[in-house]
Amino acid sequence: MSRSTLSSPVSGPRPGENTWIWLIKIITGPLLVIVLGLHFVVNHYLGSMSSGLMTYDDVIRYFQNPIIPAIEILFLVTVVTHSLIGLRGIVLDMNPTRTTLTIITWLLVFLGVSAIVYGIWLALTIASLGS
Amino acid sequence: MSEKWNIILRIYRQKEGEAPHMDNFQMEVNPDEYVIDAVERAWAFHDRTICFRHACHHSTCGACGMRVNGVEKLTCITLIRDVTYDGATLKVEPLRNFPVVSDLAVDMGLFYRKMEKVDARAVLPVTEAEIENPPRKWASEDSEYIRLSDCIECGLCISACPIMATTPEYLGPAPLAAAQDHGIHRKPELLSIVDCEDGVWRCHSAFECTAVCPSFVDPARRIMDLRKQVVGTRLSKLIGKA
Amino acid sequence: MATTRNQPSARRFWSWFIPIRRDIGSWAFALNRITALGLTFYLFLHLIVLGLLAQGPGAYDSFLALTENPFIKLGEWAVVAAAILHGLNGIRIVLTSFGVGVTRQKQLFYGFMVIAIVVILFFTTKMYIG
Repeated sequence: MSRSTLSSPVSGPRPGENTWIWLIKIITGPLLVIVLGLHFVVNHYLGSMSSGLMTYDDVIRYFQNPIIPAIEILFLVTVVTHSLIGLRGIVLDMNPTRTTLTIITWLLVFLGVSAIVYGIWLALTIASLGS
Repeated sequence: MSEKWNIILRIYRQKEGEAPHMDNFQMEVNPDEYVIDAVERAWAFHDRTICFRHACHHSTCGACGMRVNGVEKLTCITLIRDVTYDGATLKVEPLRNFPVVSDLAVDMGLFYRKMEKVDARAVLPVTEAEIENPPRKWASEDSEYIRLSDCIECGLCISACPIMATTPEYLGPAPLAAAQDHGIHRKPELLSIVDCEDGVWRCHSAFECTAVCPSFVDPARRIMDLRKQVVGTRLSKLIGKA
Repeated sequence: MATTRNQPSARRFWSWFIPIRRDIGSWAFALNRITALGLTFYLFLHLIVLGLLAQGPGAYDSFLALTENPFIKLGEWAVVAAAILHGLNGIRIVLTSFGVGVTRQKQLFYGFMVIAIVVILFFTTKMYIG
């Protein structure tokens, strides 16, 4: 006969999430609403194609202004951070073991850093293509 | 002459070592009675092996929480008329997210331990309670007056919460509401208990707990307030150190 | 005496996405989670596709031709709709987390969804009719 959960210990407090991780998620969120809105308007209305989309030449020209790669990189860091902290939150909702959580956290960090490094490289490459 | 309805009461049955199944009971009921009356009638006149909990019959003890047609209800205050109609079925199942002991009775042990962990108060000074229209300033002797906490520890919120479905470690709505009831400023040791993986950050604003609470605790609002308290405390500690 | 049935389990994550008989807040939670997963998938796909820009005008501009394919266009529509829904629901979460509109969270959700539908209808018209 299994014992009643009256004798089950209450675990924790477990350190997998805290105020700071949540605050980063909750601040990057509204920031993204603004930046994504701008990003969408620029990429769908300022292009020379009939649909408003940018051609290759449009993009290169657009990236000559140094503000643009700076903002795009900031956008990338914000969206990757928000997305991957969110994903990790979903994993935490499923009560992972400590080992699983550590592995997934490091995988997400690796994915995030890779995406950001790749994005910075891409932005700088596109900007340099105009010279 | 009271109205009579003919309904089929479908009750979840599960005894130890057996697979769960539903039993149907054809019954004549007064629709102005409560769901718990129908369950008691099934037990009294149809099957004495039905196992369920009931006590006060007036929404004070929290014992009779069950799922009625899939939704969490306190069955002693749920009118039959409100959840079914003449000739129809009335399905009664145990609360979700608790191990089933027998039929409709579930093991509330871990939940009670979580309430103990946050030192949930059954009675509290009226000066610390969230009541409607409090005086602008309490007189010192007012703190002698106590009131019962709104939370009757019925567990409906635990059953309804989507996160409680996937992790038993989450403290859950009622314990977090009890922690908010203390307040971090009154009980600083609660900070580390609620500012963690299984505390306030597991809530994703479904507000299902508030939707099913039969006792006006409004646990979702309290969890949001607790978040504010936690963030405020952490930020002021950070600024204090800097 | 207690059984292992009916207990919380990670395997019950599917119940997040089927909030049958639940109140509107659970539908908001399900919507937020589905759009989050969809947008995350799109994000990484988008980053990979943008790599084509570094391969020169031929690669990128011929990819742009793909955007007229009706299935791709529908996918793009879904991404924008998801972003709008997730963004507005997220704002509801930010507001309620700081005590704003907590007692009116249902009305807040309905209000935001009305805004979302209006914006989605607007950009759908722009996308398909011009």
